[in-house]
Amino acid sequence: MVDNEEIVPKVWYNIIPDLPKPLSPPRDPPSSDFSRIELLREIMPKEVLRQQFTVERFVKIPDELKEKYEILGRPTPLMRAKGLEKYLNTPAKIYFKYEGATPTGSHKINTALAQSYFSLEEGITHVVTETGAGQWGTAVAFSSSLFNIESSIFMVKVSYNQKPMRKTIMKLYGAHVYPSPSDLTEVGKKTIKENPDHPGSLGIAMSEAIEFALKNKFKYLVGSVLDVAILHQSIIGLEAINQLNLIGESPDILIGCVGGGSNFGGFAFPFIGNKIGEEFIAVGSKEIPKFSKGEYKYDFADTAGLLPLIKMITLGNNYVPPPIYSGGLRYHGVAPSLSMLIREGIVKWKEYSEKEIYEAAKIFAKTQGIVPAPESAHAIKAVIEKSLELKKNNEKKTIVFNLSGHGLLDLTNYESMMERWS
Amino acid sequence: MSYRCLVCYMTLGYPNDEEFIEFINKSQKEGCDIYEIGIPTKYAKYDGPIIRRSYKKVFDEKIDFIDLLKKLPNIKKLIALTYLEDQINDFDSFLNIIRDKFNGVLLPDLLIDYLDYLDYYHKKINEFGLKNVIFTTPTFPDKLISKVSEMSGEFLYYGLRPTTGIELPISPDALVSRVRGIVNNKLIVGFGLSLNDIKNVLKAGADGIAIGSAFIQRIETNGIDYAIDLVRELRGILDEFK
Ligand SMILES: Cc1ncc(COP(=O)(O)O)c(C=O)c1O
Repeated sequence: MVDNEEIVPKVWYNIIPDLPKPLSPPRDPPSSDFSRIELLREIMPKEVLRQQFTVERFVKIPDELKEKYEILGRPTPLMRAKGLEKYLNTPAKIYFKYEGATPTGSHKINTALAQSYFSLEEGITHVVTETGAGQWGTAVAFSSSLFNIESSIFMVKVSYNQKPMRKTIMKLYGAHVYPSPSDLTEVGKKTIKENPDHPGSLGIAMSEAIEFALKNKFKYLVGSVLDVAILHQSIIGLEAINQLNLIGESPDILIGCVGGGSNFGGFAFPFIGNKIGEEFIAVGSKEIPKFSKGEYKYDFADTAGLLPLIKMITLGNNYVPPPIYSGGLRYHGVAPSLSMLIREGIVKWKEYSEKEIYEAAKIFAKTQGIVPAPESAHAIKAVIEKSLELKKNNEKKTIVFNLSGHGLLDLTNYESMMERWS
Repeated sequence: MSYRCLVCYMTLGYPNDEEFIEFINKSQKEGCDIYEIGIPTKYAKYDGPIIRRSYKKVFDEKIDFIDLLKKLPNIKKLIALTYLEDQINDFDSFLNIIRDKFNGVLLPDLLIDYLDYLDYYHKKINEFGLKNVIFTTPTFPDKLISKVSEMSGEFLYYGLRPTTGIELPISPDALVSRVRGIVNNKLIVGFGLSLNDIKNVLKAGADGIAIGSAFIQRIETNGIDYAIDLVRELRGILDEFK
């Protein structure tokens, strides 16, 4: 057996100093009468904020946190998808990094754990966040329970009602879960007053979480988009590099799905920084066409505009994503660092429709036995397409993709997709 | 050890014509070496709340900026700080207006938003007999920092934080040590530099510091002389490193 020490890194990797151009700094809009950067100081744990703005290439993972990563079962497996290869009859080798193997079922725990740890270090007793589909909320609920911190999760009301099992898991971990809009915040009250049946949105839930944190002097944990989340997620790519080295493989093509960019960045950036691989493909949803239709400009990270403007590829912060089943991809923007790499042509992109990813998920489930999260199925679709392309040209390349989560808590969504697409 | 430089930022016309001139004259006597004069803007992209308030104040006071520029005392080193975005439509006229009194111009957004046009604007600024004082931040790639450090006139400006006047948690000494190794030019550290950071950045090899928000905050609360006291204190700290 290989010693985990050889695989789990001692540091996180930060791509900022290796980007081809200066990254535009976060800022306020012209008419602003308060500083959103100052607000960050009140809502984020201090060390998390320091890491958000760090330009060090490597950031040490504290020993105590490394121990907790072991509880998650890190390193997560790097597996070869021989079943899929056989089914596609491709000369390509296909590997995947399986983040669904963590207790909460997705990569989200990697940064939730780090942010909870730094909160505890600072003496914070209560953290707050929002969740759409429930993956991020679950991760925060678990990570805070590991460190004996209380957590409050604002869950978009439609998901709260449609995904009762997510709510159950979060409560099992000890979290307080509130449907958003709620009457716990001014934003929530205002929204309910205007429309008592408001289904909620990620943007509103985010604003509620931030307001709730501010009011109670709790801290807010950030799930994606900001650099610090990608920094913590780099554990995925760093592990994968070590795992590939141990089996003597060198990857040519790296693929991942993109909501805000945290699993893709965490997986692919260490490869990009180490100059391993020749092609990087970020995969989004055709129904939320940010790569094909988005603009590269300053925009708010959240709908309410409480967080600073950041320069990114975006459909606009007022954009209302259609109700696709990949809740984690229903986001208007792309992390600034990933946006730049796409703009510079270093990372390519693909977009697929829900029908296409549903078919891909089915193939993967049948050939590998794993039901992928619908978000991750976007990456699988790109892998299948690429493998078939390689087959046509008889190219023996190695593809590695990030399977960001399993879909066992998305079965009602798959049920609906079956109805919608069969 | 060597002489360390004090760069003082002040918004043009703040808090009013007369006291602005008074600040310049008095602070010069107390040991300020170089002035960065902030040209008021409606959109202070990278500035924090304190400097933004100063812009608002001078607009509210309806100060005649061109007239005030003419009245500036003939002092050592004046650098105009302005966003290129604000001047880009008529950059030549802007350079023409400031060329008599100023010896350089600092454009914080030059490398961030106009990197592909760096050579064009650099040449243009030099053609007007002005120095291009280049603004960098820790998020810039090392290669770019070392390239522009050669080009930069007067000194290289290294802005520590993404915005002014807000003490975001960073590691100033580590940030300064990192660039010290790649910058041969004079290295001035500022932008969100808090008073607590000063000794650390000097120890780490900065040739000087740039301070702004702290002066404005002092003027806001207790007037010009209170800001001048700070100039004197800063001079004292810098001289410990001589
Ligand atoms: C399983 C899974 N994959 C991907 C994503 C997309 O987010 P990101 O781009 O930040 O990885 C999510 C977000 O909820 C998710 O739950």
